[in-house]
Amino acid sequence: MFRFQSLDDDCTLEEEDDGLVEEEDEIDQFNDDTFGAGAIDDDWQEEHKRLAELDERDEHGAAQPEEAEPGGAEPPPSSADPPSLPSSLGFSSSSADLPPRDADERAGGGELAESVARLILEADPAIAGVGAAEKPRPSPSLHGLQQPRPPQKPPGVTAPPAASMLSYQQQLLLRGPAPTPQMNSHSIWDSSLGFGPVGVPPALAAHMEDSPLMSIIKEVGLPKRPLQGRTEEGWDLSERVPPPRSSSPVIGSPPVRAVPIGTPPKQPMSHALNHQIHHPTAVHVRAPLQHRYPPPFPERLSPNTLLNIANSPLCRGPFPPRVLSQIQRAQLLNSQVAGFHRGGPGPPLLPGGGFRPFFGGPPPPHGHRMGPPPPIPPIRHNTTHLHPQHRRLLTQRLQSRGGDRGRTAGDRRPRDPYSNLMSQKEKEWVTKIQMMQLQSTDPYLDDYYYQNYYEKMEKRQEKEQDSSSRKEHATKLITPQVAKVEHTYRPVQFAGSLGKLTVSSVNNPRKMIDAVVTSRSDDEEKREKQVWNKRRQILYTVEKMFSLLLEVQDFEKRFVQTPEEERSALLEQHKTNTEQLSAALRDKDWEHRVSDDLCVMIMSVRKGKRLMGRLLPFLPAPQAAAVVMAIARNLPVLAKKDKQDQVLCCLLDPVSAVVQSLASSALTDLLQELQGSEGQLTTVLQNKFGVTLLYLILSEGERMQSSDPVCQLMDDNRWTELVFSVMRELLSVSSSSLSPPLFTPPNLLSLFSRYVDRQRLELLQDKLQISASSR
Amino acid sequence: MNYVPGTASLIDDIDKKHLVLLRDGRTLIGYLRSIDQFANLVFHQTVERIHVGKKFGDIPRGIFIVRGENVVLLGEIDLDKPCDTVLQQVSIEEILEEQRLQQQAKQETEKVKMQALKDRGLSIPKADNLDEY
Repeated sequence: MFRFQSLDDDCTLEEEDDGLVEEEDEIDQFNDDTFGAGAIDDDWQEEHKRLAELDERDEHGAAQPEEAEPGGAEPPPSSADPPSLPSSLGFSSSSADLPPRDADERAGGGELAESVARLILEADPAIAGVGAAEKPRPSPSLHGLQQPRPPQKPPGVTAPPAASMLSYQQQLLLRGPAPTPQMNSHSIWDSSLGFGPVGVPPALAAHMEDSPLMSIIKEVGLPKRPLQGRTEEGWDLSERVPPPRSSSPVIGSPPVRAVPIGTPPKQPMSHALNHQIHHPTAVHVRAPLQHRYPPPFPERLSPNTLLNIANSPLCRGPFPPRVLSQIQRAQLLNSQVAGFHRGGPGPPLLPGGGFRPFFGGPPPPHGHRMGPPPPIPPIRHNTTHLHPQHRRLLTQRLQSRGGDRGRTAGDRRPRDPYSNLMSQKEKEWVTKIQMMQLQSTDPYLDDYYYQNYYEKMEKRQEKEQDSSSRKEHATKLITPQVAKVEHTYRPVQFAGSLGKLTVSSVNNPRKMIDAVVTSRSDDEEKREKQVWNKRRQILYTVEKMFSLLLEVQDFEKRFVQTPEEERSALLEQHKTNTEQLSAALRDKDWEHRVSDDLCVMIMSVRKGKRLMGRLLPFLPAPQAAAVVMAIARNLPVLAKKDKQDQVLCCLLDPVSAVVQSLASSALTDLLQELQGSEGQLTTVLQNKFGVTLLYLILSEGERMQSSDPVCQLMDDNRWTELVFSVMRELLSVSSSSLSPPLFTPPNLLSLFSRYVDRQRLELLQDKLQISASSR
Repeated sequence: MNYVPGTASLIDDIDKKHLVLLRDGRTLIGYLRSIDQFANLVFHQTVERIHVGKKFGDIPRGIFIVRGENVVLLGEIDLDKPCDTVLQQVSIEEILEEQRLQQQAKQETEKVKMQALKDRGLSIPKADNLDEY
């Protein structure tokens, strides 16, 4: 760029131009080549001058169309009425715009930007004044710029700061449109929109510190708002910059947010000045503009910003892209800052003037804390390729370093521009997390060893600190004590629903089984237990007896098999067993009587009945008879219990054997027992076994009678009465309730015939289905 | 110690030059820039230093983020302390070559050892340094 060339003697630019442009284009997402070639090639200065002439012509009514540039008219009008100029320019701007624009066919796409730039140039009195002053110079150079500045100074009575700003603005303007293709995205707006439209509105900027978000916003730019912000700021209304017009499609779209994911603490808004570091062009001029009324160097940043202003356009083009290490680059910048810093807050002009000398010769005139001088002129264009956040960080480090240097004089460490990457907030956040982990309801339980260690340490410290006056304790870490809160989760249960609604969480893990304990009352439990105990007892007894019985039953087999010598032993054993068996059935109170209850108990269990059936043959006759008696006596109970098992009939054979062996009196007794209480016979008749037993008894009696004419059976009338009652019962009872016997003894009919008449006999016959033929 | 007195915290190590030994045996040297609650570390201007015998070589690596669980030890490097080591710095190629040779030699001895054991019917299971499955 010829402008660059003019600005910097060291620049040899042209050959690098295109390359740089391409590089810029690669990353420049927002620059849709709005300017195109026109921005580079077109001489807007010429245009500006022409416009100014136009206005002068309008003002003075003098026609000087051709003698554009070197006019002595410029300084007086520019200096004399800077305030009026904008108005005139403003009024004429619209009109003036068109002809220049028409004339600038070659500008092509860049004409709009140019016109905008021109507008600003014209409207802003400061700029306009400068521009007017600079018009005569055909090839503006920085030196050239410098020269007219002093002459400008005196006339700038109305606005000395304005004049001071003018220099910067002028430089920027001069450089403005030219470097745009080479600048980053934001640069479009930097130049065209003038001062500060890019980026955050100053009101907002004032409250901000560095933040990636804001840096990105700055990058993209919010062109419309800042202008309003400018007016909000209470700028000199005489400026009255018309709103910029832009054709970029980016305008209006939301700014690109590039907040790093996972940044825990919300970064506070960064300072305005920090931001302007990103925009080493016109934007940074805002800083001086902003602080027009405040002292020109309010912070040490402003030299930084100005430096950046200087750096960016100056170093962007001419140098071959050299990749400096970040540290080197930072050091370069740092050194420049240092240089500036050392330069001290001088008049604002000085840094502007100091740009080049500083720039041209790296070691500043008064830079003593430079450290190693930068080996090469600062290559700022490398940094422009940086991610905006990176750049922000660079400059932030610079700033902090600059500040630190002032504070830490004895700091021998080399300047670290990357320090404080972790902001205070982030450090506090990590610390907070670590503290949270130390929360404990019972520190002596959770962290026993640390507590003890700490106590020991404290005691030791107290011992060491003998002086009572000074009570300096090492700072003690106070861990947060959290009260232990019992969190019992009660699952939500809706009325009428099955089960509970369970939401499982860390504090309330899901219940796998919802077991509910139901406890019965004591009485019930006792009763149940008793019942079970009794049953168990019965079963136990049955088992024991069974084992005995089995041994007894197997005796014969064993006897045959055992040798002679042991037979007696076996016999003895057999006897013992038998004894035991019979003893088992005996009543506890009455030694020789069979316990009724025991029998019934045993018989209540199925196995017990079978046991009895097998046992009876092995019992001695009286005992067996007693057992049968017991059975007969308790037949109803037994019958009831046997309903499910139906095992009573297995008793029939042994019982019949016993019955048949009974004496007549015993038989009578048996029959009596069978009849027993009232209604017993009925029950008996309902039960198969009972019926069969009855028949057995009767048949036995009959046999006795028939066999032995003189039998004791007839001695007393008991037998007859019993038989009569039996017959009566048989007749009265319905056939349905009479259960069919297992077998019908044949001699029943003959028995019956003894006692009843023919008619009843026939009835009985029918009922009992006793065939006469069985007789 | 200013943040959390009575405890050890990495906060005070920030922006200082550190040497970290990782679980896979690498040695990194860099400026510790950021940490988090898991002791994940962010190193700046990291250099991986390979040691072989008395020689060492530095490979510049840039920015490293180390997951906290992979750190064996971490120590601050005192820049002020005079550095009087017997170690000799060599170029990267050379140190890598040295490392390769060292690895090769180790493998060979290991092979011979295993063979000898096998001949005697013994076997030593290889120790698994990395928790990788």
